Amino acid sequence: MKIIKSKGPEIFDIELEKDLLAKNRALAKENRKKLDRSKIIAIDIMGSIGSGKTSLIKALLKKLNMGEAIGVIAGDLTTTIDAERIEEEGARVIQVNTGKECHLDANLIHQAINGMRLDGVKILLIENVGNLICPGEFPLGAHKRVVVTSVTEGPYMIVKHPYIFKEADVIVLNKIDLAKAMKVNPYQLEKDARKINPHAPFIKVNALSGKGIPQVIHALGFIS
Amino acid sequence: MHEFSIASEIVRNVLDVAEKNSARKILSIRLDIGELSLINVEQVAHWVQALFKGTMAEGAEVKIKTIKAAVQCQSCGYKGRNIPDSRDIVQHFAAFICPKCGSPGVKIEKGRECMLRKIQAER
Repeated sequence: MKIIKSKGPEIFDIELEKDLLAKNRALAKENRKKLDRSKIIAIDIMGSIGSGKTSLIKALLKKLNMGEAIGVIAGDLTTTIDAERIEEEGARVIQVNTGKECHLDANLIHQAINGMRLDGVKILLIENVGNLICPGEFPLGAHKRVVVTSVTEGPYMIVKHPYIFKEADVIVLNKIDLAKAMKVNPYQLEKDARKINPHAPFIKVNALSGKGIPQVIHALGFIS
Repeated sequence: MHEFSIASEIVRNVLDVAEKNSARKILSIRLDIGELSLINVEQVAHWVQALFKGTMAEGAEVKIKTIKAAVQCQSCGYKGRNIPDSRDIVQHFAAFICPKCGSPGVKIEKGRECMLRKIQAER
């Protein structure tokens, strides 16, 4: 007699080597290819909330004075305030709302550059969501990464967020006119930056007055 | 809050792989997360468990292995670990400077991982 026994559940292991950030990196590479094909130089502008990312972009647009040859992707959680501020400078703007996410990712940029008119665009400025931590884990495919910090954030921003500053191609210290009032020593911040990233130009800027903006443009390899 | 996007990616992958292997229930998963990654492991575990609810992975254990940092100095050739046993964020600053010669030219070889390594399931 053959007895058919019901087998208990079989327990098994599946071994994997699934890199969870690889998908973003692959998409970032695709973005870079598309930008290169279209001969567009893209700059990822990161920085904490209120550091002056939008003011820096406005100042760059004013000085470069290239009208619609500059495209801007403005990342924000839910509002279009930044996109409206940037549009005043004559650039071609697309707003990306991340909803509850604290950073742009390569997929959002992929959608943005596919949904945007890119004919005639030479430079694409990407304003990341205000945050010094999360964007560091999500490259977008930009050619250069700028990190903006400001004296009003206190003296420890660079020491506290070394990773993002190490990855930066250009470091901008904004609101330099307020250093004295804030009792922040910009040279100490510069020293902190040099310690972990000696290669990135460290530029002291007042985005509202335009001080330091030509140096930022030069550091990005553009001609104003 | 990039932990939420990472957790969503984990859950998507786990359910996808489990389905392909005809699993009926997932008992546990194991992740490798580097100590130099900017990922809060408690938050990742919390979100993964929240997203597992109502799926075959509901109640599965989330095991996280911390991968220790290892660097190689481009100037003096020092190879090894470079930070003390602590999650203190200010000490992360030290992770980018060679502990032997003080050069900032260190290449991070280990400690930035964010990997799904194992799924234990039932079929």
